[in-house]
Amino acid sequence: MNGPTLVELPKDNYSFGAAGKRLTTIGAVVGVLALSGAAAMGAAADDHLGRFLHAYLLAFYYVLTVALGCLFFVGIQYLFRAGWSVTVRRLAELGAGTLPALAILALPIIVATAMGNHTLYTWTDHEVVKQSHLLEHKAPYLNLNFFLVRCVAYFGIWALLSWFFLSRSTKQDASGDPKLTRSMEIVSGPATILFALTLTFASIDLIMSLAPTWFSTMIGVYFFAGAATSSLSFLILFAMALQKSGRMVNVLNTEHYHDLGKLLFGFTFFWSYVCFSQFMLIWYANIPEETEFYLHRFQGPWLAFSWFLLLGHWAFPMAGLLSRHVKRNRKALAFFAVWLLVMHYVDIAWYVLPTVGGHDAHGIPFGPMEVLCWVGMIGVFLAVVGFLGSRRSLVPLKDPRVTEALQFENI
Amino acid sequence: MAHSKVPERTSGDTKVYSYLAEYPTPQALIEACKAVRDAGYKKWDAYSPFPVHGIDPAMGIRPTILPWIVLGAGLTGMLLGLVMQIGLNAFDYPWIISGKPLWSVPAFVPVAFETTILLSALTTFGGCLVLNNLPDLYHPLFKKKRFAKATDDKFFISIESDDKLFDEQKTKSLLERTHPTALETVEDDRKVNSALPRPIVYGLLIATFLSFVPMARIAQARYTKTTDPRFNLVSNMDYQEKYKSQRGTSFFADKRTMRPPIPGTVAQDTLALDDRYSRGVEPGTNDKFISDFPPQFSVNAGAMQRGRERFEIYCAPCHGLAGYGDGMVARRAEELAEGTWVAPTSLHEPRLANEPLGYFYNVISNGVRNMPGYASQVTEEDRWLIVLYLRALQRSQAGSVDDVPADQRGALR
Repeated sequence: MNGPTLVELPKDNYSFGAAGKRLTTIGAVVGVLALSGAAAMGAAADDHLGRFLHAYLLAFYYVLTVALGCLFFVGIQYLFRAGWSVTVRRLAELGAGTLPALAILALPIIVATAMGNHTLYTWTDHEVVKQSHLLEHKAPYLNLNFFLVRCVAYFGIWALLSWFFLSRSTKQDASGDPKLTRSMEIVSGPATILFALTLTFASIDLIMSLAPTWFSTMIGVYFFAGAATSSLSFLILFAMALQKSGRMVNVLNTEHYHDLGKLLFGFTFFWSYVCFSQFMLIWYANIPEETEFYLHRFQGPWLAFSWFLLLGHWAFPMAGLLSRHVKRNRKALAFFAVWLLVMHYVDIAWYVLPTVGGHDAHGIPFGPMEVLCWVGMIGVFLAVVGFLGSRRSLVPLKDPRVTEALQFENI
Repeated sequence: MAHSKVPERTSGDTKVYSYLAEYPTPQALIEACKAVRDAGYKKWDAYSPFPVHGIDPAMGIRPTILPWIVLGAGLTGMLLGLVMQIGLNAFDYPWIISGKPLWSVPAFVPVAFETTILLSALTTFGGCLVLNNLPDLYHPLFKKKRFAKATDDKFFISIESDDKLFDEQKTKSLLERTHPTALETVEDDRKVNSALPRPIVYGLLIATFLSFVPMARIAQARYTKTTDPRFNLVSNMDYQEKYKSQRGTSFFADKRTMRPPIPGTVAQDTLALDDRYSRGVEPGTNDKFISDFPPQFSVNAGAMQRGRERFEIYCAPCHGLAGYGDGMVARRAEELAEGTWVAPTSLHEPRLANEPLGYFYNVISNGVRNMPGYASQVTEEDRWLIVLYLRALQRSQAGSVDDVPADQRGALR
């Protein structure tokens, strides 16, 4: 690339504008109302906030993985010096840009745990640890102080990385300086490694330690696969919604959706691959501290739930997204994007909800509180996306590779 | 457009294969392709040094059927993988592996996955070749010097004379209207050049025939008998200069390779000088079991701890952790209800409470009824440790409050 390219983007509406501000207002109002409603219900229940914290963690981890998937998407576009994705990349930058705000939303979980609420993470209870050799053995890692240090590190790294990409890319909108692209390419390599490490350990700390004696070496890559499918679904739906409202009409076309659909299909299957790899090793070895996890999920109503997760996150979307025609058909692609966003919630619920109130509780604890948390968290997420989006162009205006994205075509 | 002169159709025996038009840019190629497509030609092709965006619709190429073929192949591979494993493991040679059922789908998934990929990949590879009419050993276009530029910086269209619409004048004028930088006639010389040379054909036929010979020989060997000795390719591997068990030799007087132990030798750890310690009986007797621990055995907390460990490793699987005969093996056997199982004895039967210590030592060493002896697995000292723990276990189940030290009675629940 010899200096900045002076490609005129087609005449189009690249501004979120008033719609973005409206999204911020509505999202914030819905988010605050729903989350405080759920918190009130949680406080009313007499279980030391146990069920509320689980519902909150579930909804929080849901949007966190979507945002992290967006960060991953931005990172690999720079890592591969991808051209096709430039016109959709800003949307992912906005999604990842919510990470600093999500660090604040993590506080209820972290503060409650630090204040001595053991309902979520039983290993923070010294009495529980004393009863178990395994937990005593794990204490050098699974202890409250180190946990807090790690949480600060995760959210700090994520906030820095997301802000780095979003601010540099925005700066380029004005200057068109290709050196900015170069600097992001250089950072994207270490950033992707950091992303992999932080996501792995955050999954261990936030989700795997809900069942502190259980362990799976697949957990990090498992939630990476979930983050990828959910964030790609989010990107597809976000782009479609913007185009429907008359924005970015000439810079995104079927070819871009086709490629996003291909990634979505690939990561759907990757999820299944990881999911089965985790299951099969544990099922085959049949070691009590590992099988315990599946035992709880293969009993009572959870058995049907597990089957639903398997068929709904693997068989149905994989068969559906296999065809090129589906990926190039907006309505069909939108359907599967919505479907996979729901299944991603089911996926995390499958990890989080069985531990509510210990394993003796019967039935699936899913009710108004869980829905309120889910809706509220999505509301806050979208509010931040709208806030960030209304302050900058929706498309990188002067990216050196924007021509490539405009002329992009699948052969 | 100053293109070189169009050669007239060569007279006489050479037939026209196609008209070849050259273009300077991919854009010109695409425009030309649209013109040829709209004229309704079917047997023609475009050539370019790199994939040109938008060439498929410009040429009117319909989507390939290959994905459907590959899908079919993938499903076939999956089915074959599953049927193969179920057939082999559940019917042909039923074998329980790792305690899983004979039909154990999760265990079959990895192989079925691999066969799916294998057949899909091979079909994609082969399907690409077949659908593209490859391998093609000769093509008339290669005779054209100009056509070498198709791998460099020029773009071509070739309309073949086999096409129904092909007409010397009309086709030529169609191509001329697309502004080619050159227009040439390609002669069809395939009759001369396309056939394989005779020696190669005969060579391939002979090689094909010979490739059946090893299989035929193997099939023959499977169904016939022979008195010929085995054919030894590497005889010093087949007949090694060393003695193996159960073989004869002329070296020793008794003609056996296996040597009996020299009289009076004792294998390591099998010297049993002390009947009390090693056999659990009074010296010189066989069934007069000692009722105290042998003098060299000392009772302490560490001994009890190790005895418990040994008990839980060797005894608890059948007798249960508390000794009631309800270990995992026993429970599993009860569940299977095969009728051949003799339940393990409860160690708390009144009969056993009165047996002397040596009795238990003897049972552990040599077994009783269905229980095998553990002498080969558990050392003499460990056997005594197990007896120690076993005695404590019996006592624990028949204890009274007086057994608890007075200062700890308050801790009882």
